[in-house]
Amino acid sequence: MTHSTDLIASRMRWTRRGVLAAALAAGIALPGAALAQQKSVTIALTADAVILDPHAANELSGNIMFYHLYDPLVQRTADLKFEPGLAESWQVVDDTTWVFKLRKGVKFHNGEELKASDVVFTVERLKKALMASLVANIASARAIDDYTVEFKTPKPYAVLHMALAEILIVNEKYAKSVGDEQMGLKPMGTGPYKLAEWVKEDRIALDAFADHWRGKPRIDKVTFKPITNPATRTASLLTGGVDVIQDLSVRDVASVQANNNFKVITRPSLLNLVIAIDTRDKSPTIDLPVNPMKDRRVREAIVRAINVDAIRTVVMNGFSTPSDQYVPSSHLGYVPGLDFRKEYPFDLEKARALMKEAGFEKGFTMTLDTTNNRYVNDGAIAQALAGMLSRIGITLNLNLMPRSNFFGYIRVPSDKSSFIMSGWDTPSGDAGNMYSVLMYSRNKKQGYGQANRGSYSNPTFDEWIDKADATADMKKRNEFLQEATKIAVKDIPMIPVHYEQDIYAAKNSVTVVPRMDKFIWAYEMDVK
Amino acid sequence: MFGYLIKRLIQMIVVLWVVSVLVFVMMSFTGDPTYMMVPLDATEEQIAQARRLLGLDESHLVQYWRFLLNVLQGDFGRSFVFRQPALQLILERLPATLEIVFLAMVIALVVAIPLGVYAGANPGRPLSRAVMAGSLVGISLPGFWVGMVLIFVFAVRFQFFPSSGRGPTTELFGLRVSFTSWEGFRHLILPAITLSIGTLAILMRIIRAEMMEVMKQDYIKFARAKGAAQKGVLFKHGLKNALIPLVTVFGLMLGDLIAFATLTETIFAWPGIGKLLVDSIYRGDRPVIVVYLMFVAFMFVVVNFVVDVLYALIDPRIKIK
Repeated sequence: MTHSTDLIASRMRWTRRGVLAAALAAGIALPGAALAQQKSVTIALTADAVILDPHAANELSGNIMFYHLYDPLVQRTADLKFEPGLAESWQVVDDTTWVFKLRKGVKFHNGEELKASDVVFTVERLKKALMASLVANIASARAIDDYTVEFKTPKPYAVLHMALAEILIVNEKYAKSVGDEQMGLKPMGTGPYKLAEWVKEDRIALDAFADHWRGKPRIDKVTFKPITNPATRTASLLTGGVDVIQDLSVRDVASVQANNNFKVITRPSLLNLVIAIDTRDKSPTIDLPVNPMKDRRVREAIVRAINVDAIRTVVMNGFSTPSDQYVPSSHLGYVPGLDFRKEYPFDLEKARALMKEAGFEKGFTMTLDTTNNRYVNDGAIAQALAGMLSRIGITLNLNLMPRSNFFGYIRVPSDKSSFIMSGWDTPSGDAGNMYSVLMYSRNKKQGYGQANRGSYSNPTFDEWIDKADATADMKKRNEFLQEATKIAVKDIPMIPVHYEQDIYAAKNSVTVVPRMDKFIWAYEMDVK
Repeated sequence: MFGYLIKRLIQMIVVLWVVSVLVFVMMSFTGDPTYMMVPLDATEEQIAQARRLLGLDESHLVQYWRFLLNVLQGDFGRSFVFRQPALQLILERLPATLEIVFLAMVIALVVAIPLGVYAGANPGRPLSRAVMAGSLVGISLPGFWVGMVLIFVFAVRFQFFPSSGRGPTTELFGLRVSFTSWEGFRHLILPAITLSIGTLAILMRIIRAEMMEVMKQDYIKFARAKGAAQKGVLFKHGLKNALIPLVTVFGLMLGDLIAFATLTETIFAWPGIGKLLVDSIYRGDRPVIVVYLMFVAFMFVVVNFVVDVLYALIDPRIKIK
């Protein structure tokens, strides 16, 4: 018979207190006390994981599990710094060769030791998997000895170590013996927790892995419960069913904050909501001989007509952070001091003047393509945008669709779209990935511009990206990407709107470390 | 009887085939699920590779043909998202759904029959009017709202019941069930009540209407005339003759609740099959949607069959042909 963990936990807490009190009263030592000190935490997520194979999926709940069960060579910290993980050190040998030294004595959950061959196998497995894009920057991996791996990159890539934070190392023997289907059900890695039980849509229970190379986790048992409905999530927290909840609903923030037993934790996420502007000669949804947005002045007018602060206060209830650039300040390529909002503050007069100057005083009509179930309040934001742009004469028709249709619909060559709002996050900590995919000229180079939905093309911008991708020096890469950022902010190929805010709520007794990448990690948490 | 079975079987195969065609045709309009599975920065080759892995690299017609051939061999296909056999995904979640649905149906019957009979036999009384007004409220209240209110009152306010999730489960004939322990049963109560309300209200109204009809019949007058007790008149002579439409509706509602308990399951974070369907629609997970709807169609055919058999049992004048 299995009991739900929280129930056991609450009972145990109760009995422990009772037993301890009795023991104190009697003045005797209690040999079982150390055993009873087991810490446990129950966390409510918005959804269940679908598959526990880190090479076969990319969705938030799954990612959260992956980092409990597996480890990468390089670890990403809560505030997006990078530190040694399974690799204790690395060096860049030449422009395209990196050598990583593995930590010795790292144990998999089945007791086997991590060897360089496991890393090589992981890269090769990924190349054939659904998440092949994770290893796009690795040409080959080779084991030099049991604890040394050599990576070759197809071109100089100064941030390979940062990209490696997303590659989770699996055990070669285990993966080969159980096969792909079982890898999705019975994960086995080097991570701080091992899978105890997975009851689909009900709970994923993890046990601390005592032999973890960082040391045993503070919390012995972690249970994740998928609770999709936001109100039910809040209710579960308030009734003690769970200790921590992900995505506290905005309308519940005040009531949870008012309760002394709970706390609310927020942090800006990495997800930047951006609007791609069509810059082709003729735009699919604009019934004019030329595309007005080819003219930079029109693009600037649009930016100035959008009141991001109003979106923040009215649509987002204050839970968003207006974006100053395309990537957050933690990233390579961020230019300190440069702020899109200061560059182009909300100014209707100026916007109208710019429209007039460009010869579009009467405005024009176009369509905004976006989702209605993918980003926080996406539909409401679209409506706000339509209202704002109408004030400079632009009639914005809304084409809202569920995400199952959206990503195929807007896909490059984007021949049905003029104005697309979507989110972009770069957990790799580097603007280069975003720029080369979203803003580099289309069809110029393989692997570049594949999501350049507005057909933006500026040879100077491309040049800086080329330079960044031709150096193995991180400092230089940063400088080159900063130049690219300056050009993009001037050219406005896309409008950065805001970063969504992650909101968690927890019992006061639980220490929660909100992570920039949203991947709740019990290893960093504690329970009083 | 044998001819009847054969007829039903052929009918079922045709229904299942039509459902599978419909789902395939519909899903071909909802966009390519590959785009939801690959990262946004994937290159054309990576997308092509993903398509190949998912078996989406061929035309819809070829894909459908493949599907049919596999079904004939008992393989209903694999979910794009879970990479597991689709039928297994449904079957492992089914016990949880059956549990709340059956409890909901028991609640509905236990409450609806006495109240419906009373209201039908005594149409003018104040209590009958109250029952009828109550049933209207029950029909018009959306289930998700009732669920939220129940959670707020009985879980958050008074803490009588847990707010969500399934309690501890035990293994019974290879199925995980939770009604065997008190703690597990406590988890069942609120979702089952939420689920039962709409059905309860409708059943009650049907029983009342049928009873009113039946009570006017000569045989009721005769039963009264010969001095049968009120209880016997109502339940033996009255209710039994009012049962046929009740059984029909009950069967349909049972199927409906099993297949589409989605909202209740979402609100109570109940690990059943309804949530699987909605999630799969969002994710464009065609194999699961196809098998799910085929499963539902199959279930309705079976339910209708059982209902037909019940007709004959309730009313010996009816013959199964």
